[in-house]
Order: sequence, then C-alpha cells, then structure tokens
Amino acid sequence: MARLALRRARAEARAAERVMGDVETLRSARRAYLLAAVLGAASLPMVLLYLLLVLSSFADTIVTGPDILEARYSLDNWLMFFRGEVAPAAGRLYTTADILATIANTAIVALGVTAVVVFTSVLAGYAFSRMRFRWRRGLMTFIILLHAFPGVALIIAVYAMYVWSSMPLARSEGAMVAYAFAFTVLARASLELPMSIWLMKGFFDRIPWEVEWSALIDGASRLRAWWQIVLPQVKPGIAALAIFAFLAGWEDLIYVHVFLYIGTAGKVKTLATLIEELTANIETSYLPVVAAAGTLYLLPTILFFVLTQKLLLEAYSGGLKA
Amino acid sequence: MVEVSLERVTKRFGRVVALDQVSLVFEDGKFTALLGPSGSGKTTLLYIIAGIYKPTSGRIYFGGEDVTDLPPNKRNVGLVFQNYALYPHMTVYDNIAFPLRLRKLPESKIDRKVREVAKMLRIEELLDRYPSQLSGGQQQRVALARALVKEPTVLLLDEPLSNLDALLRVSIRAELKRLQKDLGITTIYVTHDQAEALSMADTVVVIDRGRVQQVDTPQNIYNRPRNLFVATFIGSPPANVLYARLTEKNPSLACVEVNKARFCFEGERAARLSRLGGEEVVLAFRPERARLGTEPRSDMLSIPAEVYVVETLGRENVVTLVVGASMVKVVTPPSQVPRLGESYYVLVDPRDVMLFDPVTELNIDYIEA
Ligand SMILES: Nc1ncnc2c1ncn2[C@@H]1O[C@H](COP(=O)(O)OP(=O)(O)OP(=O)(O)O)[C@@H](O)[C@H]1O
Ligand SMILES: [Mg+2]
Repeated sequence: MARLALRRARAEARAAERVMGDVETLRSARRAYLLAAVLGAASLPMVLLYLLLVLSSFADTIVTGPDILEARYSLDNWLMFFRGEVAPAAGRLYTTADILATIANTAIVALGVTAVVVFTSVLAGYAFSRMRFRWRRGLMTFIILLHAFPGVALIIAVYAMYVWSSMPLARSEGAMVAYAFAFTVLARASLELPMSIWLMKGFFDRIPWEVEWSALIDGASRLRAWWQIVLPQVKPGIAALAIFAFLAGWEDLIYVHVFLYIGTAGKVKTLATLIEELTANIETSYLPVVAAAGTLYLLPTILFFVLTQKLLLEAYSGGLKA
Repeated sequence: MVEVSLERVTKRFGRVVALDQVSLVFEDGKFTALLGPSGSGKTTLLYIIAGIYKPTSGRIYFGGEDVTDLPPNKRNVGLVFQNYALYPHMTVYDNIAFPLRLRKLPESKIDRKVREVAKMLRIEELLDRYPSQLSGGQQQRVALARALVKEPTVLLLDEPLSNLDALLRVSIRAELKRLQKDLGITTIYVTHDQAEALSMADTVVVIDRGRVQQVDTPQNIYNRPRNLFVATFIGSPPANVLYARLTEKNPSLACVEVNKARFCFEGERAARLSRLGGEEVVLAFRPERARLGTEPRSDMLSIPAEVYVVETLGRENVVTLVVGASMVKVVTPPSQVPRLGESYYVLVDPRDVMLFDPVTELNIDYIEA
C-alpha cells in the first residue's frame, strides 16, 4: 500500500510540476487551519455518534451522553458476543449464534464482491479505454444509465430471476447455500460495476499510448505489456476500487437480506442481517452486545478512514521527498 | 543491418491523409535524417516502420522480408518517442533493462550492457531514480539508452536530442553518430534542427503534408533543392524567392527581368528556361550566397534594392531589403553594416540562382526534357 501511494504521489507531483510549478505546494497555512476547523465542526456529530457506539460496546449500558462517567466498562460484551450469547432468552440463558460463521459469511460476500468488481472492471475499463469496437460508445452510455438506476428498484426483477434460476437446486441444501452466495455476490457486484468500469477507464485513459507501444517495441506481447507496464500504473486505482467494493459487500443489507438470508431461510447470516435480527426485538435484546456487533460491522469503514489518512499523509510527504 | 523500404505507403486517419503514396528506401547502415514542418507526417512514418500503425495501403520491407503485417515486438526496432514514453513505475535501470529481460538474457549480462550504455549517455548516476525525478534532457537520454541497449537492426529517433543543452547535444550527437557507424544500424532520425540533419545525415528526406519532397545528400538538398518548398524550408534564413518575367525565351539565350534588373542565361539554363510554358519564372537564391554592391555587375544578377532592417549577429549581419513588393535577406560580413534606407544592388552569381517553374514549383534543373 505504502509503495503504491508513493508511486502515485510521484506521478501526481510530476503532473503538478508540469501544470503549476510550485504554486500547488504553497498553500497558506491559515487557510488550511480554517478549512480543517470547518470540516471538523461539520463532522463532529457523526464522529460523536460513532464514538458513543464504540464506548457502549464496552459498557454495561448504552451510553448516550452524561452517563459516560457512570457506566462500568469491561470486555464482557465482546466476550459474550464472540461466545455467541447475543440474544437473551429467559433469565441468564442465551440462544447462541455462530458468530465466527457470521463473520466468515460477511467476509465471503465482501471479498467475493471485491474480486468480481476488480476483475471485471479492470478488463472492461481497459477495453473501453484502449480498444475500438462496435457499439463502444453506445455501451458506455448504457453503463452510465445503469448506474443511475437505484439497486432497490431492480430487486424485484432480480429476485424473480433468483427464484426461477435456483429452482433446480432446491433439493440439495449445500448447493442452495453455495448458489445463494454466488448470486448475492454477483448481484451486489453488478451494482458496483458501472461506476467501477468508468473509474477504471479513466485511470487507463491517463496512461499515454506511447508507453504501451514502447513496451511492444521493446519486444513485449500485448498481454505482457498490459500486465507489466499498464497494470502497475493503475494500481492506485485498483486499490481504491477494491476498498469501495469490499465496503459495499461488507455493509450491504438489502441484497444480502433478500438472497442470502431469506434465500436460505435465515440459516446464512452476515453481520448486517444479524444486527437486523437482534434489533428486530429491541425490547428483549441486550443492546451493549449489539453495540459490539455494530462496532465490528463498522470496523472496515473506520480502518479504511484511518488507513487512507496515513496513506494520504505518506503520499504527500513522499511527493515532497521526490 | 537491414535496408528498410516503403512501397507506396499511404496512411489515413479518417479524412486526414498523414502519408500519401510514400516510396522510400533507407539504405542499410545509413543515417537518414527526416525533415519536415510540424504535422507533415514524420512521426506517422516512424510508427509505420515500427509497426505501431498499419498502413492504409502499401508495403514495408526490412531487407527482402515483407514486414507489413508483422507486429512491433517481432521487428527488432529501437524507437525513441517524441515524449520519451519511459515506464514511470520502473527505475531508470529497470527501464533500460526491460527489453533485455524480455529476451531472457542472464542478469549479469544485462547488468553489463545497461551500465555500458548508461556510461555512454552519461546517466550512470541516475540509474536508481524514477523517470519523474529526471529533467527532460535526462529522460531523453534514458529513452535513447533503452532504444540502443537492445542493439536494434533499425533505430528510429523522433527528435531525440531536442531537450538537451547545446553543449550536451553536440557531444551526444557525435557519440550517437559514432555508435551508429560502429554497429551499422540503419537509422532514421527526425529532427527540427536542420544544422543537425545536414551535419549528421548521409541522406536527408524532406517531407511535407505527407508527401516526400526530396531525397538526397545534405549538399544537394541545400544547393539543388528539387522544388520551391525545399528551397524555402531548408536554410536559416531560408532562400529568397522573387517572381521574374521571362523577356527572352530562346534555347540559346533566355532573359529574365526582376524589379527592372535584367539578366540573361545561356547554354543549358537558357534551353530549360525556354521550355517553360508561361511568361514567368520564380528566382531563388540563398542569403549567404548574395552580396551587396553599390554598382551593378554585368556578370551577375544585380537587383536594385533598399535596406529595410539590419540584424547584427556578431559573426555576420542579416540585411533585409525591399525589392519591389518583396523582401529579400542578404548575409553580409560584419565589416559591412548598411544603414536603413540606403540603396544597394543585390548581387548573385548566376550559378547560385535557382530557377523554378511557377506552376509546378519544380526546380527547372530537375524537369525532364
Ligand atoms: N492518431 C491520429 N489520429 C488522427 N490524426 C492523426 C493521428 N496521428 C497523426 N495525425 C495527423 O496526421 C498528420 C501527421 O502527423 P504526425 O504526428 O506524423 O506529424 P509530425 O510530422 O510528426 O509533426 P511534429 O513535428 O509536430 O511532431 C497530422 O495532420 C496529424 O494531425
Ligand atoms: Mg512528430
């Protein structure tokens, strides 16, 4: 990651040099502080809510403000959560849930979506950027139109497809589960694809033809030139794409709920559907444990923001060093 | 190491005709300079030879082999792109080593070759850097190194020295020429620098709007341009052009009149002039082949003119004079600094006068009888 960032920083530094010399680097410090203050103030409520959620996951009650100081903190909620004691039944008894399986399911969906999105949009983006084929423009416009379509609006038709196509598998439970995963991943990935393909096309567009030609002249085949010369230059783009696709898969509720949860009669859960289940009967559920689930659910997003902060910082300092 | 020949090659981009029926032979082991104004099709020609573009029609041969349908990676050409096209994610070392690694040479041999060529182009200290950390001239030398390291049979250079300072350019130019001769690589060199082209090349090709204008030795390109375009494109300042009236059209004596100055040609020249269709002829002469005199001379074309501007360049002066409705430039020695408004005669030896058919713009010396 850091190496990627460095490379991108170098490319950016060079682009900046070409266009505006050192003007770009001479931002006034006062303006930067002002900007930071405004942005900070605007995002304060959000940050506070997240913070309260994370705190609650360690507390014996859901903390909402002044009670921060009164609550007692421990790792109990997290231990209960990982033991699967998430839904209190009667007294001190719990119906147990397989938390590790749930996390694994979530990861499978997220990684699956990532793989499909990255693979497809890298290939399609390259084709749209570099190859001249029939219907190229038409297809590109069509893809943008698809992007404008909300995923929820599509779900009835997609559900019909699901029911119809999974009919032959109904007898075998294992096949049904596998199919539910595959269908969820493909359906969720297709929602991400239009934007990703356009993004990737943009990244490929920025590589001058001459660089690719140069590789051909140096003796590389078209495939090798693509793999060794073109692809490394769009790595930052692929990284960004992968992060967004992973988050989309990890956080998805609607598609996961319809195809994976309902499709397997509630047997296959992800974090999103688990939390949905737990909060459905909010009177009986022990909310601090749900807060732990929620924190875990949000962890990739939080990690992503922390990481890209670091990435950005490194990118800029790397750019200055160069 | 091979002869490159093009046979009636045409390249169209939609409605733009970038190359129009170009037939050329680049001799084996020779250094050919390709000269032409911006947009004349020089880069397109190089790309066609390299195999990046497919010609719309026509064939390309390397030696006896028809390579028209051969992809670029099978042609063993070296190409230095106008914008260098270095691989931004690789160090200078890896950039230069890339073509050798594709050939699966042992790493020790690659290392030796890379360092050798880096030394020649004086980029040894840059080997660990990335292209974005280099100046334009340094990037250019890296591109040159990458093209040379694989010892191509054909070397194509698209303005490879344009970003170097004068001193470095002269020395790299000499190295390049030396290396080209030693290795016997057939080289085609695109440049905007005419002095460079005329001094380095065995053959010069002048191209304009996708058509070959002249293929000749540097001397002939300079002294015997085939048409008006070549005469006015080559040289700095370029040749002066004046429209003259043909007052006498005998095969033994043909006279021209320009701005009330009359001059008569005899012999071969007269015969050629007499065969011209119209009553007009285009006169051209090089500024450095004309002199300024106070009196007309009977053995020279002597055109009365008035001084308009004088540029003193130290080693010489460039004097612009008004002749009728046209301007001519004359190079004078530093000792002769005419004053504005003074009247002179522009004196040109008849052997230095070039004559062109006003319709076809062809030099009459090249018109077949
Ligand atoms: N890919 C392309 N698509 C359309 N037109 C092109 C393309 N490449 C070149 N042309 C056109 O073909 C003509 C020749 O272009 P070329 O790049 O060969 O010129 P050049 O002699 O190399 O010019 P310069 O000295 O400015 O580099 C120009 O009119 C140009 O606009
Ligand atoms: Mg060019």
